[in-house]
Amino acid sequence: MADDKDVLRDVWFGRIPACFTLSPEETTEREAEPYYLLLPRVSYLTLVTDKVKKHFLRVMKAEDVEEMWLEYEGTPLKWHYPIGVLFDLHASNTALPWNVTVHFKNFPEDDLLHCASNSVIEAHFMSCIKEADALKHKGQVINDMQKKDHKQLWMGLQNDKFDQFWAMNRKLMEYPTEEGGFRYIPFRIYQTMSDRPFIQKLFRPVSPEGHTLTLGDLLKELFPAAICAEGGWHQR
Amino acid sequence: MMAAERNPVSCYLDERTFRLCCQLFLQHSETIKDGWSWEQIKGTDEGFMKKTLLIPVKSSVLHEQPESSVQDEDMVTDNIQANVEDETAGVQAVCEIHAVLRYEYHVLYSFSYQIPVLYFRASALDGQPLSLEEVWRNVHLNYRQRLQQGPWDTLTQQEHPLLGQPFFMLHPCRTEEFMKPALDLAQAENKRVNYIVTWLSVVGPVIRLDVPLSYSTEVSAPD
Repeated sequence: MADDKDVLRDVWFGRIPACFTLSPEETTEREAEPYYLLLPRVSYLTLVTDKVKKHFLRVMKAEDVEEMWLEYEGTPLKWHYPIGVLFDLHASNTALPWNVTVHFKNFPEDDLLHCASNSVIEAHFMSCIKEADALKHKGQVINDMQKKDHKQLWMGLQNDKFDQFWAMNRKLMEYPTEEGGFRYIPFRIYQTMSDRPFIQKLFRPVSPEGHTLTLGDLLKELFPAAICAEGGWHQR
Repeated sequence: MMAAERNPVSCYLDERTFRLCCQLFLQHSETIKDGWSWEQIKGTDEGFMKKTLLIPVKSSVLHEQPESSVQDEDMVTDNIQANVEDETAGVQAVCEIHAVLRYEYHVLYSFSYQIPVLYFRASALDGQPLSLEEVWRNVHLNYRQRLQQGPWDTLTQQEHPLLGQPFFMLHPCRTEEFMKPALDLAQAENKRVNYIVTWLSVVGPVIRLDVPLSYSTEVSAPD
């Protein structure tokens, strides 16, 4: 993992420039300027948009304000997906900045989870970490960690502290080749063209014959439609 | 996986056994008209069991009122009955007559944890979904303390992994805790159980889903 530190840092510090505009459906006391923000790819919308909320609340009356939710070109944005995934899924082929619309009413109950506080985000994040470890190590690593270690992992994400986060995450990313490495690879293939939000299946990193498998092997087996006949990549 | 001769009994379920257990469960549901059906995901061999239920509740359960009179197990119908018959209650009784909630239950298989998971959503008849707080208020008093033990709260709102819509879910990390004693007991008595029947009988009642006793006697384990 030490050799990959540069890659890890690049992934962690990836940013998406976004422009937040209040929906014309909202009732305001005066016009609101759009709000610009660099969004961390690895974080969650509800964790990093407090400033956006505060900015627009200044032009609104308290009685017109319910839970804030975000939308891109008519599609409600699922805050529980990492920001980078949302951008890549919905807007990767469009020009920057990413234009996101802000709403304070008519919460889309059939599309979005509620997010009453940061502890909801923390619970969701930790539940993802736990599920991933269940796949990688039968949950042994996460269960052996102490509560304060879990907290450090979360705080590292919340406060954008790479070193604090990876001090704990490296334990979860340990790949002991003597023991066969990860039991299964935790992955999800997100898609927009289906009711099914993502494809998630069991996939061993090593073939029965002992060959280490690649992302291409995974896609060939579980999502062949992503790879067209000539061996290239589908534009999605 | 469920052979009584195996020692120790595994709390885990492989996907094939999950589907077989569901098939047997569904056959019995059909016999007693218990309302369960199988929903297949188009183009795959994956699916889940589904059932919709209409539950009458005191309207005080929906609105924020202290539950001073809610004591006994069947907190819903008994209290309503008492109120209707008590003529001196007058207008009070009329105000407490119930709303009806629609509960939709889905039994899915979790590949990550190799166990079944129970998802559900609840709404008023007009389609207005229940909040997590309102769902909590419908959880039987006896179960609330256990559910609140954390560390990652056991009853949470989640995205349905096959339909992509918000549902509530009973967190799978508690499954081993209550399945193990049930499976150990069955093994000790040299019986083979249908995992889904045993599991649903334990988790269902927590969220108002009743599993009639006949399932335990009539539904066999898969071969």
